[in-house]
Parts: sequence; structure tokens; C-alpha cells
Amino acid sequence: MMPSAQPSKDISPRSVANKSDKTKLLDAIRMALEIQSPTIRRNTQGFNRSRYRATSLLPDYESLKDETRRIKEDSIGRLPELVERLRATLEARGAHFLLAPTAEDACRYIRTVCVRHGARLVVKGKSITTEEIRLNHVLEAAGVEVAESDLAEFILQVADEQPSHFLAPAIHYSRERITALFKRKFHTELRLESGEELTRFAREILRQKFLRADVGITGANLIAADAGTLMLVESEGNIRMSSVVPPVHIAVVGIEKIIPTRKEMAPFLELLAASATGQMLSSYTSFLSPPIDDVSFALPGMPRKNREFHLVLIDNGRLRMRDDPVLREALYCVRCSACLNSCANFQTVGGHAFGGETYSGGIGGSWEAGTGKLENARFSELCTGCSRCVNQCPVRIDIPWLNENLRNRLNREAGVSILGGTLTTLTSAPEADEQSPASKLFFGNYHWFAEWGSRFPQITNRLGNAKMSRWLLERLFGLDRRRALPAFPQTTLVATAAQEFPHPIARPVARAVLFADIFTNCGIVSRGLSALRVLRALHVDVAVTDSIPEGRAALSQGLIATATEYAQRAASLLDHSIERGRDVIIVEPSSLAMFRRDARHLLEDRQQFERLRARTFETVEYVVRLVHDLGKDPNSVFDIERSPVGKRLFYHSHCQQKTIGAAGPTEELLRQIGFDLECSSVECCGMAGSFGYKKDFYELSMAVGEDLFEQVREAERTGGSCALIASGTSCTEQLHAGLHREVLHPIELLAAILRD
Amino acid sequence: MSELIDTFELNAMQAAAEVRRIPATPDAIRSKIEHECKGAASLVLGACEFLPTGLMESLGNLPGMLSAPTDEQLTTADVGICGAFAGVASTGSVCVAMGPPLVTMASLLMPHHILLLPADRIVARPRDLFDANCFNGEGLERNLVFITGPSATADMGPLVRGVHGPHRLTILLLE
Repeated sequence: MMPSAQPSKDISPRSVANKSDKTKLLDAIRMALEIQSPTIRRNTQGFNRSRYRATSLLPDYESLKDETRRIKEDSIGRLPELVERLRATLEARGAHFLLAPTAEDACRYIRTVCVRHGARLVVKGKSITTEEIRLNHVLEAAGVEVAESDLAEFILQVADEQPSHFLAPAIHYSRERITALFKRKFHTELRLESGEELTRFAREILRQKFLRADVGITGANLIAADAGTLMLVESEGNIRMSSVVPPVHIAVVGIEKIIPTRKEMAPFLELLAASATGQMLSSYTSFLSPPIDDVSFALPGMPRKNREFHLVLIDNGRLRMRDDPVLREALYCVRCSACLNSCANFQTVGGHAFGGETYSGGIGGSWEAGTGKLENARFSELCTGCSRCVNQCPVRIDIPWLNENLRNRLNREAGVSILGGTLTTLTSAPEADEQSPASKLFFGNYHWFAEWGSRFPQITNRLGNAKMSRWLLERLFGLDRRRALPAFPQTTLVATAAQEFPHPIARPVARAVLFADIFTNCGIVSRGLSALRVLRALHVDVAVTDSIPEGRAALSQGLIATATEYAQRAASLLDHSIERGRDVIIVEPSSLAMFRRDARHLLEDRQQFERLRARTFETVEYVVRLVHDLGKDPNSVFDIERSPVGKRLFYHSHCQQKTIGAAGPTEELLRQIGFDLECSSVECCGMAGSFGYKKDFYELSMAVGEDLFEQVREAERTGGSCALIASGTSCTEQLHAGLHREVLHPIELLAAILRD
Repeated sequence: MSELIDTFELNAMQAAAEVRRIPATPDAIRSKIEHECKGAASLVLGACEFLPTGLMESLGNLPGMLSAPTDEQLTTADVGICGAFAGVASTGSVCVAMGPPLVTMASLLMPHHILLLPADRIVARPRDLFDANCFNGEGLERNLVFITGPSATADMGPLVRGVHGPHRLTILLLE
């Protein structure tokens, strides 16, 4: 499918909101890269830094996350009972209650309430749920003016665009673009050149709306079944205005926001703002049990009414999500946007590209699929599975796993192609995945190609760079022609290791196996050989396993049956070694992540997973443990003076390596040895395994990579030139593509500086 | 206790609130409010239910104080004054309990909000107010708002303080 030839300045966000058609996704990416990217980057990365800082100040951050997770699991588990409890609570207090099965039911009810009150003006606080049900259109069609009062929603209402972020829906708008928009739409001569002037302008319009509104509509972050209390988080004061000033308050709340008790709101109160804006608390967090008993507010000429409260609980697919073992997880979401802000792709294109009509980012695909159609989740293709969001989620949702499942379901839409069937037969992959697109089958079974390529490297390497074969690879599998292909080695790690190290280690201090992951065995063999050299120097008896796929590549393509089969086979192989007292060492971080993280979804035997998780190590991580356990000074093992690349390094650790906590040891060791070490702070290099190799995503991948390249340049501008060090194969390729420089794996450097 | 107060003061100031530590005497409160409201034409006084009676008596006749403001007067008043339910040290927040006369509006509609917070009502962290043993469990019963600094937005580009809620938040910390 080719992107349309439409110039991106003519693409409006609304026109690409629905991405069930893939060309819309590609158009949206182009639009975002050309127009929105610098603003989105600045804003999301600002939130991201603030979140890291704020959560580091929470002394019990991890246990708070356990607590919120437990409460959400319990709540969704008991949802039908909690709905009834909430209904009883509210009705006893004289509030109105509706459980709306569909968006239409909800809109019809709200329109009826407004019409009954003769409402001419409704003010709304920020509510993504009312975006989902398209409430504004329904009210406006009934002659009711709807004033969006959150400043971001105000901008979007003026611009007629969908939100691009949960928390800051107009995060893609720079101050300059807002000025231009307001000047154009309001025909004003006012000087709207600063944030203050723009804010004052909008505030003065909206203040009159608050005071004259007949009805206020808000959402809620949570609602407690026992007390009927709404938790409302905001920083502008518009939600307070909307909920306490007009005589009628309608809260439109997704059914998944119910928790059993008000007391259980406490951990969310402490976690939400830190995870969202990176503040300890945002300006206002209200706990309201409406109808509030304050006297109603009325300007002269307005009737003074008794306060009235309506809760409109929205199902609209949520109860169906609850019955779906995968989408159920998405119901735990508290819409903090930590997964958006910590996502390198999201930081680069935002939610108009990485999002649908309402929901965006890593979690957004599940919500678009759950409240609409599966095809609407096609943008979730932009989740690379880098996993940086996983530790950031305050309710511990494994977002990559949700997206891998969505991909799996979308893969099945197309039906079996001749090419797909042939690939499945050739690679002996499970038939369950054979209807997947050829591109997915190619990347998911890359090991098969790599193994064949490594048998005849002279031929395959030459072929791999020939114009004709690159054209063919691009046509058949979507492999972008502009990417250099990793070269196949003359001999594999498995073959070389047996020749180079024929003798076992006498009196070993530890016993281990080195997993011959495909990227080391049929790619950068010297990483594996260096690992063997360093480990043997430390007197580790280390054997090399057979080279088999562990399923990480298949999983990233949504080939779940294939990933399961490969993971189970590799797990048995490694488990066998573990049972014989050997630790497992893995060079490629994504392969390691399979055993430390992903395999829990794929292995039937939970204990086997726990064993693997405890006994698999990243190469340098293992070296650090060993040096520590042996009570050695790292400088007695390594000699910085032997460094072939100087003493100043720029180290980029792999995204999944960071998530599983295996990046720190490398940094620590290199510093202890005496290197002047700069480290990247990007979430991901943009290559993310196969993502950056795909023709559809090449430009996005390089745009993401630019942050990393710039950090290298900045480090060199300020502190002098650095040697480039990276732990992942695809990160190495990306750094090479962006900076045209050699990149070493840390274990290669360590092997080079071993003392005799 | 004094450590809790110091932490509160530091975090409240980080959230862009102004904190004035003053003695909990009628004279000190009156003169501080008078000083803070210099130049303000009209003041609104909401209930201060957690302050010892007697402390507030002298505030009613401050210059510009509206004795029984109409709703229209509320929309044009310059300063809203009310009592706090509690302070939260770890976040620098002040929690206000709504319900009693004018508290909701005095904490929301005027550009300048002055809060009176007795130092002995500062708790360590937000969740303490959801404990049934804290302040007779009132935190679990009342309509509350945790106020952390003045209203703010980053939606118009740079951070702007002062949006729909108060632009300025002054906390009189009564010791």
C-alpha cells in the first residue's frame, strides 16, 4: 500500500483520525513529522523528565503501584456488584444514576436532561470519555451551546481537532500556532503573543460561560461505590468551576472507574499526579460526593435552583473488554499518560499519528478496539515493544503485550497469502500464524534467513546489497532499501567457539552457558567470542548452546503461536542447563528480555519462568556479579590503559535491557574501570528490532534516532570525542546509520582490556 | 512536629504558594491579612471551622470586607479568605473542606486566595487524610479539595500561573 501523494500540509488531523485504513496512518505520520514533532517532543519529554523526578521522590513508589494494581483488579473483578452498590449509594442521596450500554444511550440521556432544564449553555471540564461518545455533536444538534473549558480542549474546539494526548489534549500546539489560530478564528486585534496573554484571552471568555452555564459536565478520575465520591484531578480550576458553579452537574464516567471504597482512592491520589504531570499533586484534586449541599449560584436574572447531580456511567464496550482476557487489562488504565510520555515514537509524532479518534499511545489501541472496532487499533503498529512504558505504568499494565495481541488479531484479518503460506512452510513456523502478512512472517522468522545466509556468507552478503535483491526484499517484505543489512559472518559463533576454545576451564569458579542468540551467532560473532574470553579469564566454565530462536522477533510481529513455540523450545533448552547448575548468559538484550519478562505470557510452567528469570543474565551484568562475588577489584581484571578506543565513552543501553534492570551494571563497571562515561538518556534508539527496517516507518525511526545522535554530538561538543558503545544489535545498526561510526559492544571493549 | 511544618513550607513554596508563618493570635492574623490585602477593593470571608473561635472575630470589619456578599459581588471580589481543613507536608498542599458558607466560592472565584492553616493540622502525606483515625475520620466524609499552589496551565505553551482558579495563593500558617 502506497501513501497518498497529498502534501502533508493539506492533511487535517480529523481526516486521519480513523486509521482503519493504513494509508491514513502513513499520512498521519508524515503530517506529524512535518508540522507537530518539535512541539510534541519538547512537551512530552518535559513531562517524562518530571515524572522520573517525582516518582523518585515517592519513598514507596513500587508498593503504591502494587496497591493500585490490586485495587483495580479487585474492582474490575467485582464490577457488576460495584455498579449496583454505587447506584444504591447515589439514589439514597437523591442523585440520578444511569448505566448507559452504548454511546448513543448516554448522549440521548444527557440531551434529555439538558432539554428538560431548558439549558442553552453547557460548560465542560476535560473529559476524554465524552470525546469517545461524541457528546458535543449531539448537544449542539439539540441547540445547546457547549463550551469546552479546559484550555487545551478550548483550543481543540476552536481548531476542530481530536485530542492528541490524554492529559494535554493539545500537546501538539506550540504557542505560536495557538496565536495564529486565535487570531484567525476570533478576528481579534489583541496582542496574543505570550502564554499569559493567550490564557487571559481564553479565561475571560470562559469565566462568563461558567457563571451563566445551565449545566456543567465533567468526567472523573475515579468514583467510589461506597460513598459515591468522585475524584477529580486538574490544574486549571475549570473542573471545579464546572462541578460546583452551575445548578446541574452531570458526570460522565467510564464504568471501569468505579472502585469499592473512598478510602482506596488514597494510593491513586499519591500516584496519579506524579505519574502524569510529574508533580507531587496537581493544583486541584477534588473529592466530591454530589449533589453538594452548597446553595446554588445565580447571577441576577438567573433562577436559583436546587442542585441536581446525574452520574452517567458508560459501558460502550467496556463490559465486553472485561470478558476479553487481553483487553481486560486496559480497563485498569487510569489515563495518566505515563506510557505516552515515555514512548520514543509517541514523543516524536504524538497522538494524531500514534492514536485514533479518541485514544492514543501504547494503551490507546486497546481502547479504540474495545470501544470501537479492531481495525481502529491499526495505529498500535507504532508500539515497537521497546517496553519503556512498562515500569512507568502506575497500575502495572503490560502495554506491549496488549499491542502484540492486537497485532496478532489484525494479522488474522488478511487471510493466507501464497507468500505467507510458503514462508510458513519453509521456516516450519506454526500454521496458526500462516495467514499473517508476509512482512510479519519474514521479520518474525528472521532466524531462518540468518541461518541460511550464514551458510553461504560470500553469496548472501553480496546478494543482500545488490539493487535487485533490495528491491525484491522491499516489495515482498517491506524491508526498506535505505537500510544497510547486517552482514552475515564467515563462521557462526557456535562453529568458531568450538575451534577457539577447545579446552574446558580447570577448577571453575562458576558454570554457565552462553545462549547463542541469532543476532550474535549469525550476526556480530565477536560479541560472543569476547564474552567467552572475559568469562574464561574469570575462570567460568562456559559452554555455548545450540542456536535456536527464542521467539522475541515473532512476538514483536504479533505471531503469538510462533513466539510461544519458539519460547517454549528455547526455555527447555536453557532450563536443562540450569538444572545442571549452569547460569545462562545472553548477549542480545531483546533475547534476554524474553526470558526475564515476555515469556511469562508464553510459558505454561510458571515455575520454569521464575527459574529462567532468576538465572538468566546479560553478559556484563554477569561479569559484574562475578567480580563482586569473588571479591575482586575490577581494576585487577581490566586495565583501562589497554583501551583501543581511548578513555572517553558514549554508552547507549538497549531499551528492553533498561526495563529489566540490566543496564546499570555496565555503566557501573565502565566507570569503576576509570572510563569517562557519557550515557544516553533516550528511551529508545528508534530502530527497536525490526521497526526501523520497515519501509513504512523508516522516516519515523530516523527521526526518533535523531535524539540519540544529537546526544552523542552534544557530549562530544562539551567534553571531547567519545567511542560509541551499545549493547543491542539494532541500536548498533541505528548508531551506525545516523553517525557513520564504528560501535562496540561493551563486552568487546572489556575483552580488549583484560589483563594477562 | 516542627520538621513537618518546615517540610510543608518548603513544598508549598515549591508549588508557588506564598507561606507566612505567624502566631495564632487575633491581632497577628488581622494585621497580616490587612497587609496581604493592601490595594484590594473587596474581600470575601468564608467559614474557618477548624480555627479556635475568637481568632476570627476581628476580621469581619476589615476594610473592604463584604458582610453578606451577593453572588454577583462574589464574581468581582478581589480576595477570598477561608480556613483550611488540613495541610499536607509531602506535597505542600492545603486541603479545604467544602460545605460551610462561602468556603467553596472563596477558594475558587477570586484572583487571590488566602488560607488560614493551623500548624497542628499538618499531616505527613496525602493518604493520612483517608485514615479513619485522622481528624475523626472527617477526611473520609467531607467534600474536599486538595489545593497545591495557584491554578496553572501549560496548554498555551509556557507554564502560566493563574487560570480559572486563583492566580495567587497565600497560606497563613498559624503557630
